[in-house]
Amino acid sequence: MKNDLVERYIYAVTKKLPYKTREDVAQELETLIEDMLKERCGDITPTEKDVKVVLTELGTPTELYEQYAGDGKKCLIGPNYYHTYLFVLKLVLICEAVGLTIAQIVSAVVNGQELIWYMAIWQWFGMLLSGSISAFGFVTALFAFFEYKEISLDTNSGFEDLPPVPKKEERISKGETIFGIAISVIFLVVFLICPEIFTCGVIDGKMIPIFSTEVIKSTWYILFVFSALGITRDVVKLVDGKYTKRVMLTTLVTDILSAVCTVWWLTNKNIMNPEFTSSVSSLFEGDGAFIANVFANFQYFFMGVILFALLLDCVITVIKWAKYSVGK
Amino acid sequence: MNVDEIVSGLVLELRRGTLILLVLNQLQEPKYGYNLVKELQEHGISIEANTLYPLMRRLESQGLLTSEWDTAEAKPRKYYKLTTDGEIVLKKVKENWNCFSASVNQLLDEGGC
Repeated sequence: MKNDLVERYIYAVTKKLPYKTREDVAQELETLIEDMLKERCGDITPTEKDVKVVLTELGTPTELYEQYAGDGKKCLIGPNYYHTYLFVLKLVLICEAVGLTIAQIVSAVVNGQELIWYMAIWQWFGMLLSGSISAFGFVTALFAFFEYKEISLDTNSGFEDLPPVPKKEERISKGETIFGIAISVIFLVVFLICPEIFTCGVIDGKMIPIFSTEVIKSTWYILFVFSALGITRDVVKLVDGKYTKRVMLTTLVTDILSAVCTVWWLTNKNIMNPEFTSSVSSLFEGDGAFIANVFANFQYFFMGVILFALLLDCVITVIKWAKYSVGK
Repeated sequence: MNVDEIVSGLVLELRRGTLILLVLNQLQEPKYGYNLVKELQEHGISIEANTLYPLMRRLESQGLLTSEWDTAEAKPRKYYKLTTDGEIVLKKVKENWNCFSASVNQLLDEGGC
């Protein structure tokens, strides 16, 4: 007893289901509908109206499909991460806007004469828009990745698996991570838009940037990766809230990658502004040769500071992880 | 404030987990979907087939149920049964339920004083 309506109904429910289960669900539904019709009509042949009543009871094909599809992977960022996601998103957007504004003001001051005010505002607005879209995309992609990972990791959710509440000193303070994220975003924005901000004072009545603006702008992707690594590290800390193995490993990996970025970026010979190097050496002739030397090699000094900070971060994180998490 | 809407929402929430517990409990013997619908209805628990069928499939994918087609009869039927993991889960959840419902009932009987 094949009924056209039933067949169409079953097809509508199962067509979007995974291939493996489609046939099985269809078979099961077919028997179910037959059972329901039999219960309704007994031995009398069901009419079209009976079929409609039974199908209505089962719900529309879309509703039934939704039931079968379940609500497992229906969202990009689930309730576990949603609040942190919103929080980080707001934070990153605010920092990005603040950084952009600072950068734009500074570059307006530096190139004061040649600037037309409405062009500057228009430019600021354009950068704000594209910056916000990038920030939104990055944060969303990051959390979508977390969500995806968590789903594949967390299959059993017994009550016994809940982790213990961390003691106060084990916790990573929220302020620390927020500060870290803010610094990463502002650093990126300022460095990308207005590297002139790293101007080494006034030499001979002129402000001379330390770094070559063109080179920095052409190596934007390294800076972007560097900041993205920093944000990832802080977000993992924010999500876990204590020195877990995951925090430790993420910190190590991102710190090492950041170090690679730093070395790659700062060993570029052209990164220094040649004008700066020559002004410095002319300024400190004779007795000041040593100081001139320090400034001339500023890029290596800068690199040393960053690498040291990254190393320190690694060591501290590993120690804290060993102290608070190992053996628990 | 729509009282009916809130009530039906709350009842739905209350039922959701409880139904899973009942399904696990009733499937200690192999049964097919519609069979279980009828059985639960006889005990005053109304559950729609469109809820139960996908639910059993989900529980199967979680490893709590296992299924087998019986093609000996006129209509092929899919029988579901609790797995060993399912038995463990049922036992534990049942303990939780007993403890929880006892406390809830006690508090409700006290009338919130």
